[in-house]
Amino acid sequence: MIARAVFPLLLALIAFAVPAQAEQSEAQRAARWSDLQHAIFGSRLVEDAGDLVAIDAPARADDAAIVPVAIRVAETFAPQVSGLYLVIDDNPSPLAAHFVLGPLANPSEISTRVRIDDYTYLHAVAETKDGRLYATARFIKAAGGCSAPAGKDQALALERLGKMKLVVAERSGPAAPVSAKLLISHPNSSGLQMDQATRNYIPADFMQTLEVTYNDQPVFRLESDIAISEDPGFNFSFRPPDPSGPGVLKAEVFDSSQRHFTQSWPVPAAAQM
Amino acid sequence: MAHIASGYAETAQLPVTEIAPGIFVHNGVHEEASKSNEDAIANIGFIVGADAVAVVDPGGSIAEGEALRAAIRARTDRPVRYVILTHVHPDHIFGAAAFRDDRPGFVGHAKLPGALAQRGEYYLRRLHDALGETAAGSEVVPPNLLVSDRLDLDLGGRHLVLRAHHPAHTDNDLTIFDENTRTFWLADLLFVDRIPVIDGSLVGWLKELDELTAMSADQAVPGHGPASVLWPEAAASERRYLEAVARDTRAVIKDGIGIADAWRYIAQSERGRWLLFDEYHPRNVTAAYKELEWE
Repeated sequence: MIARAVFPLLLALIAFAVPAQAEQSEAQRAARWSDLQHAIFGSRLVEDAGDLVAIDAPARADDAAIVPVAIRVAETFAPQVSGLYLVIDDNPSPLAAHFVLGPLANPSEISTRVRIDDYTYLHAVAETKDGRLYATARFIKAAGGCSAPAGKDQALALERLGKMKLVVAERSGPAAPVSAKLLISHPNSSGLQMDQATRNYIPADFMQTLEVTYNDQPVFRLESDIAISEDPGFNFSFRPPDPSGPGVLKAEVFDSSQRHFTQSWPVPAAAQM
Repeated sequence: MAHIASGYAETAQLPVTEIAPGIFVHNGVHEEASKSNEDAIANIGFIVGADAVAVVDPGGSIAEGEALRAAIRARTDRPVRYVILTHVHPDHIFGAAAFRDDRPGFVGHAKLPGALAQRGEYYLRRLHDALGETAAGSEVVPPNLLVSDRLDLDLGGRHLVLRAHHPAHTDNDLTIFDENTRTFWLADLLFVDRIPVIDGSLVGWLKELDELTAMSADQAVPGHGPASVLWPEAAASERRYLEAVARDTRAVIKDGIGIADAWRYIAQSERGRWLLFDEYHPRNVTAAYKELEWE
């Protein structure tokens, strides 16, 4: 597992904070990605993913604070994948998410919603069980997402803090993976909004880790920070070891304010064909 | 009066229409904020009583605020006692600093300070991006008179009833009812012609509309649209749009369609019925989806 030392928000802010520069040249963007690779993966070789990994995201975001992003992994390649990284090159904290996949994960598709601060490349990097790294890129036009105000209804956000919701899609058969959508009510505040009256920044308060298990076996563990949108949402799928029996899916969240939330849901057995 | 007006000779007056005796409205343009429109895109104005004046939204920039103040001073020398900030959005509040020397009560919803804390700096930066140097001097002015339910203001022979609403257009919407002329100033709880912006609660807005449309008034002032409209008839289009968004968004969530593709399936029958539809509809869908997926 990658050491948490790679993640601290402060390091990211200090090392990579860049002024807004929507008109960077391609050479500047490539240099930045090269710096980021070095910071995140050290001297490890990062290969071109070709058709093995793809990023699905709008070319232009309607709301830079809630940009849907999906990482897709080719079906034949998925069994080799042990981790997925999502990097938003020009965000103040570029490493948006690192999914460490457990034995039950079905990494063919995983999606979430992120904040994007400037016109930027997104990079998705798949890590294989034998330690190789495969990267793919996509350019996106969005700006202002990290400092954009959260919370349309602040009273509701407080009242619902830490509550989660799981929606499990109907399975086509016992062999099919279980597709699920997990929602976590959390402001995931970036700490980049200044209160004009007090001249103080509103403190960052964000989800640091999310662990999802099924019958106590890991599906995935996510390490994340402020780039994940308010009320983080994840679509993922997994393969129950015993699809004919019912199970329990559990999600545990640890946030930067040392809060801990956990919730479990029964997952019915697949219908018999 | 001449000595008062002379001090403001440099400042152009904001064009206003007297929609009812003593109620003046500037009709905002249906555009995005820009240097050329000085963010004068919302309906704003003022209400004149026997003793004092209440401003209803000081406008989208210091430039608009100053022009509004000039329009007031051209018509009366009574003091500006209140500047009502109907909600947090930049096109309504950034002219407030133009009235600071009048030392009015800056009136806002009890949740406005929190919303300004979250959003004020960001909105100011965006205003500077859109207006350039024209934005200079525009400021976030926090309210010093808060409304958590109802507040009655007396302008001298003129009684205004302010109501703080539950989350709807935003989580800090105020409306103003002028008893003398039975004028209902709804600000952005009512959009006419220009597409409504969902930035509080879609479900909440529909609920508020039930209550608002049950009230009788001789006319209403929308936050965007004509300076004066019939009430409650003018709310029909907005309700139709919001209901369509709610109905279709619930359907796509039920069908497992993701937030990225949702807008294609939602309220497309409304396209062509609203100005700035393509600019705001996808964002409304995102907001609606995020709200309704918790149901």
